[in-house]
Amino acid sequence: MEGFDRVVPHQEGQSRSSTSLLNRRELIRAALFASVATVLGPTFSVAQAVSSGLTAAARGEDGSAVLSDPNWKPAFLNEHQNATLIMVSDVIIPATETPGAKAALVNRYLDLLLSVQPAGFQQRFSGALAFIDDESQKEFKSDFVQLTPENQVWLLNQWAFARENSRWTERDDRHGEPGDPGQRNFQLLKTLIATGYYESEMGQKELGWDGEMTHGPYLGCEHATGTHT
Amino acid sequence: MANDPLQQIYDVIVVGSGATGGWAAKRLSEAGLKVALLEAGRTVTPREFTEHMPVFQLKYRGRDPEIAKTRPIQQQCYACMEYNYEWFVNDLENPYSTPTDRPFTWQRLRVLGGRSLVWGRHSYRLSDVDFKAASRDGFDVDWPISYADLAPYYDIVERYVGISGAAEKNPMLPDGQFLPPMKMSCGEVRLRDSMQKKFGRTLTMGRVAILTQPHNGRAPCHYCGPCERGCFTFSYFSSPFTTVKDAVKTGNCTLITDAIVSHVDMDTASNKASGVTFVTRATKETKQVRGKAVVLCAQALESTRILLNSSTREYPKGLGNSSGMLGHHLMDHVVGGGASGTFEDLQGKPSASPPHRPTGIYAVRFRNTPATGKYPHFIRGYGYQGSSMPSFDFGAPGIGATYKRAVKQGTYDVSLGAFGESLARFDNFCEIDPYLKDAWGIPALRISMAHGANEKAMMQDAAVSAAEMLEAAGAKNIRITTGTEMPGMAIHEVGTARMGTDPKKSVLNPFSQSHDVSNVVVADGSCFVSSACQNPTLTMMALAVRACDHLAERFRRNEV
Repeated sequence: MEGFDRVVPHQEGQSRSSTSLLNRRELIRAALFASVATVLGPTFSVAQAVSSGLTAAARGEDGSAVLSDPNWKPAFLNEHQNATLIMVSDVIIPATETPGAKAALVNRYLDLLLSVQPAGFQQRFSGALAFIDDESQKEFKSDFVQLTPENQVWLLNQWAFARENSRWTERDDRHGEPGDPGQRNFQLLKTLIATGYYESEMGQKELGWDGEMTHGPYLGCEHATGTHT
Repeated sequence: MANDPLQQIYDVIVVGSGATGGWAAKRLSEAGLKVALLEAGRTVTPREFTEHMPVFQLKYRGRDPEIAKTRPIQQQCYACMEYNYEWFVNDLENPYSTPTDRPFTWQRLRVLGGRSLVWGRHSYRLSDVDFKAASRDGFDVDWPISYADLAPYYDIVERYVGISGAAEKNPMLPDGQFLPPMKMSCGEVRLRDSMQKKFGRTLTMGRVAILTQPHNGRAPCHYCGPCERGCFTFSYFSSPFTTVKDAVKTGNCTLITDAIVSHVDMDTASNKASGVTFVTRATKETKQVRGKAVVLCAQALESTRILLNSSTREYPKGLGNSSGMLGHHLMDHVVGGGASGTFEDLQGKPSASPPHRPTGIYAVRFRNTPATGKYPHFIRGYGYQGSSMPSFDFGAPGIGATYKRAVKQGTYDVSLGAFGESLARFDNFCEIDPYLKDAWGIPALRISMAHGANEKAMMQDAAVSAAEMLEAAGAKNIRITTGTEMPGMAIHEVGTARMGTDPKKSVLNPFSQSHDVSNVVVADGSCFVSSACQNPTLTMMALAVRACDHLAERFRRNEV
């Protein structure tokens, strides 16, 4: 079964089908001229461990440390964007009885992710943040970061309830996006923020992750026969 | 090395260490034959498994840009991820070409065990409805073997591998040697009962190569979830820790890793293969290893590539290709049709903690069966994989505490996705690209395949039928997908060296032995005559055991 361990589905911007067929073909052709870095040692290794050719994960490296670095600086966001993103993320996923998006450093993860995205996607994201400020200016004559908490909630809430069916559970992602620009921009931010939050350690704990690798077998339906018919 | 492994003459050279190569090495070495097992990739150890590593410890949480750079094709596979992508081939080093309007995605691993490290693990028998399909509907030809020929080998493979599943007495999906099945959820029980009552169709727990009790020295599944990242208890079947290990333990099998086979070497005078030539992965030196027989288990397209690259004056169109069939009749199950919905009245709490059942349900083919008769819109049929589980509702509306609560509350999802038979057609084929070479200088493949009208009609029907069955079971919010994914997406590619009794119309004989060169055997999915709609690996393994037992018998009779 596909990706059931992946708590948040891959969404726009990280789409696995984003490489167009033409690009793929060009890549294949380009390989004609590719210089190849070979990585491996022994040629006749009979069941002998080889230390290279491993992913960082396979080497056991914890890649999350980069986000909690005390000297962290954004790689993609400017200062205002970073401040706005922190605020927006904390309005969408605030601290309740559990920590929220700000404490989970969602802005830092998204900054890292955005820093390696294609320019087109970076522009869409920056545009979405700017849209929030534009609407805030129209409504309150002030940037989002300067609004009262009540007004921040008011502003975002107007786009937070879909007027079309949710696209999240849709397996076929070719159906397009909401037509309304407010909903489109908001949904992009919400999707990324929710991904950044629920895939963080705090977010995983919010979803019941306890660090244990097993809790015994899956027991399934334990109701009497015929209960569900 | 005191004994240079390349100075010996082996009885058999096995090329490829995946699901079938592992079996070939095990079976032949246990029969007392001296075997060299060649693997193009490196070896693998349990220390590099990542099945228990939480997603937040990945720097990019699964979105490492390196994957798109070096594996633009491999990343289309759901199992190729930031955790394990180094197991998958680097697409820049391993190119192939396709016509612009006939895209094909070729997803593969070069590492000890090959795709058995990351496979989907569903394991189903074919039936005579599949082996003798042509006799029923007149399309193409029957297999030269029947279910009775293969049944004893299914038994052997299942008993060793350990297949958990339930007997259903449905002639479309013969029962086998099963460990207890995994459990169905409430939603799956509801769908199963409804499908049986309202449609007379069988929904069963997926029959999978994952243990539900201790078996042959391996521990049962601990339900952590992501098998494709490895398993420290070896509870799902992968060749390095089972068949290959057994083969090496006999003392008769020499494992040679990092050896990329370019072609089979021929002794023209005797019309027999004398060994294989390979290129060493790191140093790119060309070397040879000699043997009395060659068994190709490199995966359908790769084994055929080796044969096409082994042309001689006698076999100008590729070794063993006097029929002109080598490379043709490429198949891959058609996928894309299906439906999903929610059971709003079922209770269940999703959790990011285990247990995570590492498989789903399977709906048995119900079109064009002896029981249901001829279906007017297409020939052959499809089965479904699916599941029904509580899941987090990340798409919940709203913001703030409302949203956080709704996400955890979740929805009870249900989905079915079809795997349909891909018809064997001569014009779906691979050949050697005259210009393209891989990083080791070995001529690369040009693959030309497209699904046809029959496959497309099948996916339309699969989508509508799935929606009907979900609706009948009480599901709401139903969505359907009717598309046809590009060939290769099922990662069930078979064919290109079909078996048959007539050397003019087939590449291999019914024991997967080359008609033209008697000591060359192709024991992977290449030999398939039709794709059926069942996941093919179990059948490939059974065919490999049958082919290798036959080869061992020929050695005993001194016929090789």
